[in-house]
Amino acid sequence: MKLFILFAFAAVLLSCGNPSAESATERDGAEEKTVTLYTHRHYDVDKEIYAAFEKETGIEVKVVKAGADELIQKMEAEGDQSPADLLLTVDAGRLVRAHEKGLLQPITSAAVRGTIPAYLRAEDDSWVGLTKRARVIVYHPDRVDTSKLSTYEALADPEWKGRILVRSSGNIYNQSLLASIVAHVGEDAAKTWAEGMVTNFARRPKGNDRDQVKAILAGEGDLAVINTYYLGLLRNATDEQSAKAGNAVKIFFPNQDGRGTHVNVSGIGLAKYAPHAEAATRLIEYLASKPVQERFASINYEYPANPKAEISEELKSWGSFKEDKLPLTKLGAMNRAAVMTFDVAGWE
Amino acid sequence: MTNKIRHFYRDASIWSLALLGVGLFMAIPLLVVLLSLAKGTGETWAHLTRYFLLRYLGNSLVLVGGVGILSTILGVSAAWAVSRYAFPGRELVVKLLYLPLAIPTYIMAYAYVGFLGNGGTLVRIEEMIGLSPRGIDFMNLGGLIWVLALSLYPYVYASCRVAFSGLPASLRSASALLGASGRRYFFTVALPLATPAIVGGVFLVTMEVLNDYGAAKYYGINTFTTGIFRTWTALEDLRSATYLAALLILFVLVAVYLSRLARGRRSFVTQSVPGSERSGRMVARGWRRWLVVVAVGTPLFFGLALPLGQLLWWVSGEPAWGISFSLAWVGLQSLLVAIAAAVACLVLALALVFLSRWNQLDVLRPISKLSVIGYAVPGAIIGIGTIGSSQLIVDFFADNYGWRIGYLFYGSSLVLLYAYAFRFLAVAYHPLEAHCLKLGKPLAEAAYLLGDGKLRALRKIELPLLVPAMVSSLFLVFVDTLKELPLTLILKPYDLNTLSIAAYTYAEDEQLGKAAPPALLLILLVAIVLWSISFGKETKR
Repeated sequence: MKLFILFAFAAVLLSCGNPSAESATERDGAEEKTVTLYTHRHYDVDKEIYAAFEKETGIEVKVVKAGADELIQKMEAEGDQSPADLLLTVDAGRLVRAHEKGLLQPITSAAVRGTIPAYLRAEDDSWVGLTKRARVIVYHPDRVDTSKLSTYEALADPEWKGRILVRSSGNIYNQSLLASIVAHVGEDAAKTWAEGMVTNFARRPKGNDRDQVKAILAGEGDLAVINTYYLGLLRNATDEQSAKAGNAVKIFFPNQDGRGTHVNVSGIGLAKYAPHAEAATRLIEYLASKPVQERFASINYEYPANPKAEISEELKSWGSFKEDKLPLTKLGAMNRAAVMTFDVAGWE
Repeated sequence: MTNKIRHFYRDASIWSLALLGVGLFMAIPLLVVLLSLAKGTGETWAHLTRYFLLRYLGNSLVLVGGVGILSTILGVSAAWAVSRYAFPGRELVVKLLYLPLAIPTYIMAYAYVGFLGNGGTLVRIEEMIGLSPRGIDFMNLGGLIWVLALSLYPYVYASCRVAFSGLPASLRSASALLGASGRRYFFTVALPLATPAIVGGVFLVTMEVLNDYGAAKYYGINTFTTGIFRTWTALEDLRSATYLAALLILFVLVAVYLSRLARGRRSFVTQSVPGSERSGRMVARGWRRWLVVVAVGTPLFFGLALPLGQLLWWVSGEPAWGISFSLAWVGLQSLLVAIAAAVACLVLALALVFLSRWNQLDVLRPISKLSVIGYAVPGAIIGIGTIGSSQLIVDFFADNYGWRIGYLFYGSSLVLLYAYAFRFLAVAYHPLEAHCLKLGKPLAEAAYLLGDGKLRALRKIELPLLVPAMVSSLFLVFVDTLKELPLTLILKPYDLNTLSIAAYTYAEDEQLGKAAPPALLLILLVAIVLWSISFGKETKR
């Protein structure tokens, strides 16, 4: 009991001790030695990259990890006293939302503008995409005739009744995919498509992307709509059952004859009230540079946003594909319409 | 009217004022949320009531009912088996039965799919022994009920054990003299006397179920809580989301009222000192022996051995993370924060229990009940409410004095600790309240007659008698804080990292091998604390 109370005091002291020490070093130094990053990404490779940045520049990266929605809410509440310099999300829609709420400011860097293509950036450069992931079809080669596969739209055909596996509509990647369809063909056609998909479901949407691939191997369905990097992770998993599921399926990039396969990005925005905007811009430049982009891609099986960066062997083996160049800001703008369409169509 | 004022004047005391103060302090985020009822619904309200609200509400009700019943059966029978029967290894089993609480529900959910699902451990075993490899689909409403009940039954178990071990041996001898069988004694004497404890435990289970987000989301089951998040994040309508949260609070208020009705005016005071049941523990014979084995074996196997085994299997595939310094540091931070939160909750809960006891004003009576509602509010909504209310303070100082004190709020754990206290007050409060009801007032009143003040009677008589319940409170809040996720995510300062965050962020991204070590360390920490504290007199004498 005594020990318990003693610990409690230690904890309170610890929690009070930090901020004061913080603000002292923080506000006085003329040169920016730290940068605070709010991030939704939680891959180990990120941590290594920040450490390398710190070593190179002497700027310490302080990381706050949480869901993008929570982080945006936090930034909004903290207002002009927010410690956040940067917001890193795993989809463009959230960055668009942060921008709409006035939480971001333009990144003034010729280097970033020169390396990342325009369709992967905000119109005013308040955020840039760093890595790309494509939402593709994976299928079991024995059960699916490749010549029947063509577009996302065609998945709503009666041909696929009871054969499609996909996760729930609460997932942002599905929302972005539907948002892109709404942007291209309009809300009504998107609704008809979503309804067609629902009739073709092999089972109620559940589990994550990897579970869909495992379900193909188990014969619960014949094809699934998933993100590319999950396939890369599955195929290279140490656990042999996962690797087996990953290798049992083949990848198909839809809409190659038309607008291209839907891609989303993991991207970074500069906070409006960033206390260390300069250091933050340096970190963005660093993350967009060729060598760092190659590390991002090779370890997490993502496509680098910097076109000069090489893609990994695994991604090369999947072949090149035409991507949908719809400006990503559209995904954010159409997100709510997409979610409402899911609800109306009964896609749980 | 003058009569009323006279009564008010007569009954008002410093205790009433203190009760009001504590109550108001703890009610700030609640008020922020409830005020949203006045602001009305947001723009997507028509859409969500038309397309999903009722269905989600239905799922939640089935879930609450199913988990409530299953966890009651598991918790009561396990508590009875260890309180009433002596068997080899009983001391160990008593403690092991608490441990499933240490496994966060979403980790339990992943572990079950990892074991039974496609490409899971079961499939591997089937392949090994030459059966056709087939997984079992566990991602459905039934599966979710099972997973939640197995990780939450310890709430019922904990409060029932305190209640059962407090039953005086004289009650049983009296029943036996009157010819009542063991079964009849259980159903007509012990169980009714433990009702407040069971109701308190089930209340906590219900609140946890209403709060669950990770497990339901993974299994694709849409509940009221996932609906709140969908409204907030996907439909981008925070106003409707907060409105839904406020409705949830009202729903819980009704539940609290009903639980009071269930208790009614019956008295649960027993005259003897708690702890005397222990002397008469029986050795189970014949079919009863099997009943005892089933009662303790079911929760231990399905709630502990199976998920733990799966976690260990995952770790075995990820040697790099095995034992690392950074993990130990994360563990230490979690430990400190959880202990601080537990102590804060205990102090506040004790204050509420006793202040409302000493308070004579009927008007203030509901305060203690109201202050514990925080438990039902989804963590993310509390987080927003807390940030919102601290923002008011920060702005006040910025506007009036030009002080920039934002860092104190956003860069330290103070706000986080307050939010934990708000959220988990119920967990600390219920065991205390249930135990206090059983103690009754006679002992304290005797002390007052002998000239002791309220505080002296509290220190000398009531608190020592409450120690088992206090330990139980501390432990439950400690475990809950260790597992807590949404609040921690929103309110934590940048340099604080906890085990539950580490486990969740990896699990969410489908990297279960990396999610397992922090989850295992969390279970280990709880086990260490569990073994280093004693639940009352049992091990002391």
